[in-house]
Amino acid sequence: MASSLFPDPLQLWREALTKLEGEVNALATGSTQSQEAVRSLHQLSSASQGVQQMVEKAIGAYLRRANLPSRKEMMELAQSLQRIEDKVDRLLPPQAPAVPRPARTRRPSGAAQMPTPAASAPPPIATPAPRSKRRAAPRAKG
Amino acid sequence: MAATAAAKGNDKSASTVADPALTERLRLEVERAVQRGLKGFELLGAPPPAVGRTPKSVLLRRGTLELVHYHAMSDEVYRVPLLIVMAVTNKGYILDLAPGQSLVEFLLQRGYDVYMIDWHAPTDAERDLKIEDYVQGFIPECIRRVQQDSGEREVTLLGYCAGGMLSTIYQALHPKGPVKNLVCFTTPIDFSKMEIFRNMSDPKVFDVDKFVDSVGVVPADTVIAGFDALRPSSRLAGQIRLWDNLWNDQFVKGYRMMERWGNETLPVPGGYFRQTTKELMQRNALHEGTLRIGGRLVDLSKITVPLLHVIAQYDHIVPPECAHPLVERVASHDKQEIVLPGGHVSIAAGPNAVKRMWPALDSWLEERST
Repeated sequence: MASSLFPDPLQLWREALTKLEGEVNALATGSTQSQEAVRSLHQLSSASQGVQQMVEKAIGAYLRRANLPSRKEMMELAQSLQRIEDKVDRLLPPQAPAVPRPARTRRPSGAAQMPTPAASAPPPIATPAPRSKRRAAPRAKG
Repeated sequence: MAATAAAKGNDKSASTVADPALTERLRLEVERAVQRGLKGFELLGAPPPAVGRTPKSVLLRRGTLELVHYHAMSDEVYRVPLLIVMAVTNKGYILDLAPGQSLVEFLLQRGYDVYMIDWHAPTDAERDLKIEDYVQGFIPECIRRVQQDSGEREVTLLGYCAGGMLSTIYQALHPKGPVKNLVCFTTPIDFSKMEIFRNMSDPKVFDVDKFVDSVGVVPADTVIAGFDALRPSSRLAGQIRLWDNLWNDQFVKGYRMMERWGNETLPVPGGYFRQTTKELMQRNALHEGTLRIGGRLVDLSKITVPLLHVIAQYDHIVPPECAHPLVERVASHDKQEIVLPGGHVSIAAGPNAVKRMWPALDSWLEERST
């Protein structure tokens, strides 16, 4: 697009979003340095889990009264059926592969014959490890 | 250009001259706004995007474990089969999102014989699974099954994230086993560098035993919340960007596939969660060399097979400093670490992966797979 006298407000908004995202992430992750913040997070998580378990219990009680299976019971039933199917599969005689198997004789192609993606790929930032020299292991914190 | 000419050409104020660039921009924005409205409605009723469509056969399925074999796409394959080990928390289709965006498809086209250990949500009966069950049970069993299916004794093991950690622990415990090459993507070793996870699992503020005893299997929501805590505003920002790009079908397709993958994060067996929290997060035992699995010490210097470790430069889950010690610690003579620009997921899936990581992986693997 040709350049304009006016700045693109949507582009500015996109840049602001990226900046805001980065700042909120940094702030939130920085808050995990505080034990109090992490403790509160865990408390919130366990409270929400407790509520969820209570709701599940209540729904389970209702389903029992209504003589209906719960999702968990249906899953257990599905798993039992799967186990039976697996056992039946193991009892069947082994079959020939569904697709023909190619010969295992392939050799590496020369660099000149590499396909386009490899040939056009930018060189990776490769840092081959030294073979004789080993870096000292960094000390773990705490 | 037109704007510059207008600015130079006369003394009329900008407000009185029609700015072609501005007009074009307004036209484009109106068009996009209309498209957003139309496509937004379409999106509401759209089924989940199809993923993981590369043809495959299931070789083994038991509880949380599934071993699949992808159908070859070339007339001739390399001798050594490749076994991919996914992270316990995520579905393997991140490596097989869609045609053209699938590492699995790329490897098949390049002549590799590809198998994958994928995980399903653990059953209630699997709540006590531990690392021992993965590295002394599931992985060896799948390797045996790959050997039987391929007719080859040697296997290349490729692990992604925690799948890489499990593969590394397996190899440290079975150094004389059938693994010919070990490839790891973004594999954590020094957990002291995962500061946020470490702060959140500090025993002073988090009683992991109490938590695991109450839930049995750790719910997927808790696992998702743990990952979200690393970048709490990114989910909302992502939704806003989706709205902004609703007119762009390619963007929406890619976003929805990744969103589906994120939403299908798996629950984790409580035993595995307890062990990783205590041994890895709190004690950093893998890095300290004190981790015991099945009573045996996990010593990374026992690993002598060729090793490739691909690390993402901007990884917020496994930062590079958390991953570097793998190559430093193993005793392999043939070892390489590659740091590529990208994040934890974009290193393996997405346009940058197609351009950078996949060809690098292929060129490392091809000469070691014969």
